[in-house]
Amino acid sequence: MNQRAMYSQSFTIKGGDFINAGTVSVRIKRLLKEIGLKPDIIYRAAICCYEAEMNVVMYANEATLDFTITVENITVKLSDKGPGIKNIELAMKEGYSTATEKMREMGFGAGMGLPNIKNNADVFEIESEIAKGTIISFKINLNGKH
Amino acid sequence: MLLKEIKELLKCNWYSSEELLNKEIQYCFAADLMSDVLRYGRTGSLLMTGLTSNQILQVAEILDLSGIIFVRGKKPDENIIATAELRKIPLLSTNLLLFDSCGILYAQGLRGGKSNLMENDEPKSNVQSIVHD
Ligand SMILES: Nc1ncnc2c1ncn2[C@@H]1O[C@H](COP(=O)(O)OP(=O)(O)OP(=O)(O)O)[C@@H](O)[C@H]1O
Ligand SMILES: [Mg+2]
Repeated sequence: MNQRAMYSQSFTIKGGDFINAGTVSVRIKRLLKEIGLKPDIIYRAAICCYEAEMNVVMYANEATLDFTITVENITVKLSDKGPGIKNIELAMKEGYSTATEKMREMGFGAGMGLPNIKNNADVFEIESEIAKGTIISFKINLNGKH
Repeated sequence: MLLKEIKELLKCNWYSSEELLNKEIQYCFAADLMSDVLRYGRTGSLLMTGLTSNQILQVAEILDLSGIIFVRGKKPDENIIATAELRKIPLLSTNLLLFDSCGILYAQGLRGGKSNLMENDEPKSNVQSIVHD
């Protein structure tokens, strides 16, 4: 844990579990609200978490989400075991999606999740290894303009 | 406008306690895609949608949506109704189509409004991709 971390917690996310999907992000959002951070910081962090969490549910087997708050920022790192992403540039394009028909019926597959994370985060990194998994990390600054 | 006035205008069924219908609605948003709601929806909006999967409640909580109106006669299942009541998210449904529902509310003065989270939509160059083959 970072020395200056005020709070940190890890969560597990299960691939394919559409019943609990999104609940980790909702828990994080409630936590940020309790801490009393500014609303737009809370919304942006929660949106990023939700999009990343749903991608694990839809495309990966399982993941660990590590969540840390320091005086400067919120840092989230999601490492999943899964198929990985072959072409990250393509996956980052708005509108690109490999969501199935079933996922689309539930309202997913706009191909906007990764772009949404990129737009809401102050720092965003994605790293992937084929047939191993994907690591997504993002930071949201607590002070200063987005 | 109060949610209960909207309920009359769209001839809605409702699945929440009466007190939740006394909410004041400032903005509306319509979409059938979760990521669209998260990207373009203004926080606190009333959402008009045809999506009834339980996922809509997580999205509603993340953006503090004021309520959800299901269009095209779609109805939420009992689990969704119970969870929404606990989280104080009012649920209604109308037989009207999405366009007509929005048109009626727009004519009464309700507006959408852009997402309040991002000041500009300039593309940012903070992406780093590393692929190991
Ligand atoms: N963790 C992951 N593991 C494997 N592939 C992924 C992962 N995350 C995203 N992808 C791939 O990248 C594509 C784009 O992801 P993105 O989140 O932008 O859109 P989407 O999930 O398809 O749709 P939306 O998020 O709008 O519902 C996905 O369709 C999928 O092919
Ligand atoms: Mg996605």
